[in-house]
Amino acid sequence: MNLLGINFRLHNKRLHFTWPLAILALTLLLVACGGQEPTTPIEAPQEAETTEAPVEDTTEAEADVATPSGAQDSLLRVAMQPMAIIDPAFISSDSEVLVANHVYDYLVDIDPQSNIIPRLATAWAISADGLKYIFTLAEGVTWHDGDPFTAEDVVWTYNRLRDPDIGSPTADLYANIVDVEATGDLEVAFTLAEPNPFFLFDLSDNHALIIKNGTEDATDFNGTGPFKVTNYSPEDRIEMEANEDYFIEGQPKLSALQVIFFNDETAAIDALRGGQIDLALRMSTSLFQSLQNEPGINTLEIPTNGFDLIRLRTDQEPGNNPLVLQALKYATDRGAILQLVQQGYGAIGNDSPVGPLYEAFYAPDVQPPTRDVEEAKALLAEAGYPDGLDLVLYTPDTGGRPDLAAVLQSQWADANVDIEINVVPESVYYSDAENNWLDANLGITGWGSRPYPQFYLDVMLKCDAIWNESHFCDEEFDALATTAGTSLDEAERVEAYRSIQELLAERGPVIIPYYFAQFGAISDQFEGFQLKAFAGRTDLRNVSQVD
Amino acid sequence: MTTVSDPVTPESQPPASLATPSRQRWWRNFKLLFARPSTAAGTTIVLLFLLVALIGPFIAPYGENEQIAADARQPPSSTHLFGTDRLGRDVFSRVVLGARDIFALAGLGTLLAVLCGTTFGLISGYLGGLFDEGLMRFFDSLLAMPALLLALLLLGTVGPSRNSVLIVIVIVYTPIVARVVRSVVLSVKNKGFVEVARTQGESLPRILYREIFPSVTPALTVEAALRFSYAIFLVASLGFLGVGVQPPKPDWGLMVSEARHDVSQTPWAMYFPAAAIALLVIGVNLMADGLKRVLQAPGHE
Repeated sequence: MNLLGINFRLHNKRLHFTWPLAILALTLLLVACGGQEPTTPIEAPQEAETTEAPVEDTTEAEADVATPSGAQDSLLRVAMQPMAIIDPAFISSDSEVLVANHVYDYLVDIDPQSNIIPRLATAWAISADGLKYIFTLAEGVTWHDGDPFTAEDVVWTYNRLRDPDIGSPTADLYANIVDVEATGDLEVAFTLAEPNPFFLFDLSDNHALIIKNGTEDATDFNGTGPFKVTNYSPEDRIEMEANEDYFIEGQPKLSALQVIFFNDETAAIDALRGGQIDLALRMSTSLFQSLQNEPGINTLEIPTNGFDLIRLRTDQEPGNNPLVLQALKYATDRGAILQLVQQGYGAIGNDSPVGPLYEAFYAPDVQPPTRDVEEAKALLAEAGYPDGLDLVLYTPDTGGRPDLAAVLQSQWADANVDIEINVVPESVYYSDAENNWLDANLGITGWGSRPYPQFYLDVMLKCDAIWNESHFCDEEFDALATTAGTSLDEAERVEAYRSIQELLAERGPVIIPYYFAQFGAISDQFEGFQLKAFAGRTDLRNVSQVD
Repeated sequence: MTTVSDPVTPESQPPASLATPSRQRWWRNFKLLFARPSTAAGTTIVLLFLLVALIGPFIAPYGENEQIAADARQPPSSTHLFGTDRLGRDVFSRVVLGARDIFALAGLGTLLAVLCGTTFGLISGYLGGLFDEGLMRFFDSLLAMPALLLALLLLGTVGPSRNSVLIVIVIVYTPIVARVVRSVVLSVKNKGFVEVARTQGESLPRILYREIFPSVTPALTVEAALRFSYAIFLVASLGFLGVGVQPPKPDWGLMVSEARHDVSQTPWAMYFPAAAIALLVIGVNLMADGLKRVLQAPGHE
């Protein structure tokens, strides 16, 4: 109707109307109507620039359609899954962490090569016994509401994060902290009960964004970060503008940032192709491949330690029998899974979260059993299941997980393990629903890449781990994990990680068939972008628009 | 509508067709399905799909979830007639094997819906009164929601599985069938032959099925065929949305949904199941249209 209306006006009122403009207006309208966000006017400065029509020919009609923004306005639009949680102490998804990472600041940050780098803390000193950490904080930092940032803010934030009553998932991670103390206006001291070689990484946990001392409502977006939130429309988008007072000179380079929410990867990639978004950080392998020769889009790929795992609960039948876990390992062909589900991108898994990315700790010669269907059947028979097993497999609907389920079903069927697949929306799988990721007997779960391996052991596999989805409890494992996580002797830690990989390959409750690659695709209108192994921790402060 | 209804000769009231031996009647009705070229085309398509559904496992060269890694993403060829998808599964085999699922779900669902709908419609229309009023208002409330929305609501409650899809089809289509049946019942229940049967003291089930039901069959047949075509759509839509049949079953809607991410690389994996849905729905609709013209034509019977 709109199209017809405009056509009508063009012919009757403006007979001398220049055709290039008319075509441009129509094209933009078509794009606007056919796009994923039909209610949103499309900003297309580069298209507007190509028009050669004289200025006086600009009519109201196309002023409505295209609003060319000035060259100094550089807006980056990122496509991500909708965010649900704002309070940094409880965030978990890509979009939640990405937004928080640009509204708030971490005390220390992690670069794409997994090194600790300064952020709000500019320098630090560690005592010889590894129990005391003293941080010097940046000067001239202000909150978005104008108040100055002080050491008290850091103390308050970490006390909140480690308070079990608040209930942040980090309470466990920070149980080792005895005391956090402001030893000066811009100096903070942490005292630990046990030495922790990974403590700086822990301080840069996804949740550990510094919020203002005494904040009652941690969903108010009052951070010190490079961007200020101007508008948040749940399920639609979040709009941010550059923080003019950001404490690092010359950052951010963008003037505005938008995270636009997409429930569907394909829709997000279509929007990237159509120019409605500029950056996409999560996509299936096939979508990534389909973007390879797309003009105007640069694709990036890096290895990560992220993985999908298949886990069977060890506190229920049949997983409480270690022979069943072994049988499933024998029934699985990890190489075929990598080829089919990830098309060969990434690396083959060894059933342990200590992947090849952690060169120092990874033991490439420790491998889970290669596929042997007869052995799997024999083990099942020995375990008391001579006729095989019937299991229901729950899997989130994102990424290659439904494909992984389909391939598993086919492989395990050879060993008389019949699985019925239940594909659940990701948001439901990670909610409190029945058969969620912590409850289902057999499930597939995706784990993001972390800068160091101890995290997975502490939250996923130790007896009292907060996200112990396989309900695994093994004294030997716990002892090894404790050594790996506390020893200050590097050689001893390497040895402990090696034993852990051996133990998990032999009798662990999880099958990790592959470590995935992280994909990204960005419009070639932007430069300075670096991909990170965990998409949520992507740092957009140095991204700028090409002139 | 134009059934013979001479109140003076109650014995002659069953339509002539019912009086003829049943085999002949079936044969004549079957021939009606080929009466017009478009109907014949539709019927042929439906019968072909039915045949595929019946003998599917014998003509499918590969298993429904058989993955040949080396053959992943192959375009259509002589080894893989419809090509292969990203997991190396033969699309032709999956389309063929999926036919059985669609007939089992949409067909059985429609059949059950027609059974329930007919029973409710007959009783409700014949008895009238408060029962009729209550039931119809309840059905109205179900009909107030679009079928797909109602289906999504129900599946959200009971969880996705094949049986839930079946139940959902029955719940969604029973009210529609019941209303069609009821309207026919209302138009005949005060006719002479029914009143005669009543005064003769015939039992309620006998009146409903022997006297009234024959008048309902033409409209019911058309409605059933239409419902079937909608049910195919519903099953495919639910599969596409991921709340119906679960992977890796070769459900056509699910196949379209799975392959749409790869449409730039393996378009065949999406187009063939989509074409199968379209073709079957067109076939059923042509057949239903033909049935309607024949059965509801003024000169029929």
